[in-house]
Amino acid sequence: MSLPHDPPDRTKDRAVDPAGPDTWSALMAAAQDGHGGAYRRLLNETTDWLQRYFRRRLPPGDVDDAVQEALLAIHRRRHTFDPRQPFGPWMAAIAKRKWVDQLRTIARRPTEELSDDLAVADHESAVMCATTLTGLLVHLRPAQAHAIRMVKLQGYSIEDACRETGLTASAVKMNIHRGLARLTALIEDADDLH
Amino acid sequence: MTSTDALILGLSADLAPVRRRSVRREVGALLVLAAGELALILMAGGMRPDMGEVILSPFMAWKIGGLALLAGVSCAIALRSFAPPAASRRELAFAFALAVLVMVAGVVVTNSAESGQPLIERLAPARGLRCAIAIVVLSLPLMSLLAVLMRRAAPVHPKRSALATGLAAATCGALVFTVCCPANDPLYIAVWYAVGIAAVAAAARWLLPRRFRL
Repeated sequence: MSLPHDPPDRTKDRAVDPAGPDTWSALMAAAQDGHGGAYRRLLNETTDWLQRYFRRRLPPGDVDDAVQEALLAIHRRRHTFDPRQPFGPWMAAIAKRKWVDQLRTIARRPTEELSDDLAVADHESAVMCATTLTGLLVHLRPAQAHAIRMVKLQGYSIEDACRETGLTASAVKMNIHRGLARLTALIEDADDLH
Repeated sequence: MTSTDALILGLSADLAPVRRRSVRREVGALLVLAAGELALILMAGGMRPDMGEVILSPFMAWKIGGLALLAGVSCAIALRSFAPPAASRRELAFAFALAVLVMVAGVVVTNSAESGQPLIERLAPARGLRCAIAIVVLSLPLMSLLAVLMRRAAPVHPKRSALATGLAAATCGALVFTVCCPANDPLYIAVWYAVGIAAVAAAARWLLPRRFRL
């Protein structure tokens, strides 16, 4: 499925091994053979990429969790990597899956707990995450997009959002919940969105 | 040291070698299981009695050839989808389009004597339902094996992988079932085989992604 309003500057997120096209594949092949040093180097290098990837897509408070979840998934599923193939797309597919999982976690989390990190802790990450999510919000119904934008991106409380929109608290929460669920499904189904 | 650094140290310490996933081994396991089912049917005397006469007819060529093609394509898509980067939605759509095409192709080989019969006689619902159930039963061991392979691997689109798994198991089950199915009407095959295959694919799509975590 093609999303016409993808977040901008997607080329920066392509998983490319800075040391050369085959280095990560070779390191993973060595890791599959039980070489701990190669594995440590690979995980350290890929952590930088994963942090950049998730900073652009998730609230700052969720980035570390997502990175660690992705590292654990890479570790648990390392036997499925084919050393004849490039490592980047393999890792990027796992990272996308973890992005979807993390969005589901955010959608399930009580709404009131979310706002502080996003508004204060890391402005650059928050802006990048907001830019990415804003690009995706156009696919939602206006009421859902508005509720997510206010509560999840701009740090409004549920009560403030109710006053602003004239909706009840349960309606605002429902819009956020359904909107995030729809967003997650859109990301999951889109083959061209990484 | 951050918690991520500690995690990396923990994961890389005492790293044991892993046995790489081998698609060839997985295909071999599927073939052995399907052959085992076929052998059981033959040993139980379940083969249709006139198989020697009909095996070379255009109808049987369509039935066996079409299902073999579908089984091969859907197994390839399912196994491919088990590891990233996964099989795309386009590949799944291709498998379903191929299934429809194979069933429609049955019109070409329709027996003119049978096509003049009333629809309800051609469809024989009671016998057809038994055929659909037999396909579901024969699919279950194959689906179980594919489900184990899927859980051991890394499907990044579990729902798509589950659907491909169901389609693969069902078409393999239907292919095995062709040796004992006495029906000679392509309409009957198209309807009741499609019912059996759709039931297995839907069940797999609903059941397999549950509690799956990469």
